[in-house]
Amino acid sequence: MFKAIVGASTLQDALDSVSVLVDECKIRLNEDDLSIRAVDPANVGMVDLTLDAAAFESYEADGGVIGVNLAKLEDFVGMASGDQLVELELDEETRKLNIRMDGLSSTLALIDPDSIRQEPDIPDLDLASEIVLEGAQLDRGIKAGDMVSDHVRLRVNADAEAFHIEAEGDTDDVDFQLDADDLIALTAGAADSLFSLDYLKDMNKAIPKDAEVTVELGEEFPVKVHYAVAEGQGNVTYMLAPRIQSE
Amino acid sequence: MEVMGNADLRRLAAIEDIGFDTLGGSVVAVDAHNWLYRYLTTTVKFTDARAYTTADDEEVANLIGVVQGLPKFFEHDIVPVFVFDGGVTELKDDEVAERREAREQAEEKRAEAEDRGDSVAAARLEARTQRLTGVIHETTRGLLERLDVPIVEAPAEGEAQASYMAARNDVDYVGSEDYDTLLFGAPETLRQLTSAGDPELMGLESTLERHGLTREQLVDVAILCGTDFNEGITGVGPKTAVEAITEHGDLWSVLDDRGVYIESADRVRDLFLDPPVTDEYDVRTDISPDIDAARAYVTGEWGVAADEVERGFERIEAATVQTGLDDWA
Repeated sequence: MFKAIVGASTLQDALDSVSVLVDECKIRLNEDDLSIRAVDPANVGMVDLTLDAAAFESYEADGGVIGVNLAKLEDFVGMASGDQLVELELDEETRKLNIRMDGLSSTLALIDPDSIRQEPDIPDLDLASEIVLEGAQLDRGIKAGDMVSDHVRLRVNADAEAFHIEAEGDTDDVDFQLDADDLIALTAGAADSLFSLDYLKDMNKAIPKDAEVTVELGEEFPVKVHYAVAEGQGNVTYMLAPRIQSE
Repeated sequence: MEVMGNADLRRLAAIEDIGFDTLGGSVVAVDAHNWLYRYLTTTVKFTDARAYTTADDEEVANLIGVVQGLPKFFEHDIVPVFVFDGGVTELKDDEVAERREAREQAEEKRAEAEDRGDSVAAARLEARTQRLTGVIHETTRGLLERLDVPIVEAPAEGEAQASYMAARNDVDYVGSEDYDTLLFGAPETLRQLTSAGDPELMGLESTLERHGLTREQLVDVAILCGTDFNEGITGVGPKTAVEAITEHGDLWSVLDDRGVYIESADRVRDLFLDPPVTDEYDVRTDISPDIDAARAYVTGEWGVAADEVERGFERIEAATVQTGLDDWA
């Protein structure tokens, strides 16, 4: 059983955070929240989304799991404008999701959840640095890196208490430096890892520019990036595996 | 005259599907001739010859083939070790060697004709790729070295050497399309590494168990049916051969009982059970390809069209510099 009413933009933002990584996913309709965990086919990037029941106007669920084609679901939900309400209801008989909004009702065929790539376990990582910054700052660093390379180095200079987003191209380099004063918060420790911009750019697309983004970073470890959605009633965590440092 | 085709040995072999997902982190000794040949024919079939013909009229389609074939290993976190055949002339028995040579050519020809379903084109293709030329041998090694892929030079049969390395546990699997690796004693062989989709796993123990045979007896069964090195007994297929060996114990008793003779049967038996192999090999798993050097070698030094290999190099680069989240699980 699943029936919920939610603001269109809340749902759209949440789905965006997943669809930048995968085309299909399982949605867990837990009693207290709706959650999605998915990893891209190359096993490099992972997203973990939770929307609390409180993020919905109304929410009733009993722990079922459905599989969806995200592009189709987003298309349907995208027919509503930002402040409209969208009603979602699972038809257990037909295994279809009914989506209703102001005068428009649509039916989305679901995918067998067993046919969808298994959700990964979240690796238990000890990441020494924690950087809290605005989505817009992260966006600026990623865009700067993208001008010269296909990957960036995320690094914390613990002595100088600064966070760097650096990129080295064949001929050109960029270094985007944020001092502790520029950041919302910084816990400085040993942290220096390389990441593919293909993935970071996709994740960055989903991160609101005004979000408070927490980056957990280590020495040649995966990075964790998380931020709140639905006015604090939900949370998105990305995890991205690093590239190997050659030199 | 019966010659045991792959179909006969396949009927005996215990084979199961295996997902690439479960092979991550493993080391595979690849029968290089077998693997290279597959990619060479595909390249020649689908690529304009101008893309791989040098100014000196040397054809190096193998370079495109290798760049297209390697990403599959890297993307699934598998370390390939390429095992090259030694010269066939080093085989002690020239007659046996010639027979094998002729058979290989015939099989290659048939496979091409089947693939293409076009006999004229197949014949032209055959003429072009008939044998691995000296330049193909040289440049394949040159490219693999730049990509830091381990190479082993077998004294004779690459399959035998690869099987030996697997039996000694120095590698996890043999990679070959040939069922002979069972006879050479490879504990586990991955087949269809060159095809789309997941490979097959062929097990020696499970094959022996299924028929209640020892490995020596399996080799005897194969010899009765016919192998790459000998013609089998007329009217004896795998089922009959297994029954005969089970009843009489070994090849000699079966031949005695039937009053028949197989030419150089003892040498063929030795070739499978005690083939020339070497301990001179080094299996490394810390591979760090120099993509730039490989690219320069293929497109610069050998003049291969860049757009034929760029995608392959990108895939190799992505797969070897990018870690996966499962590495931290």
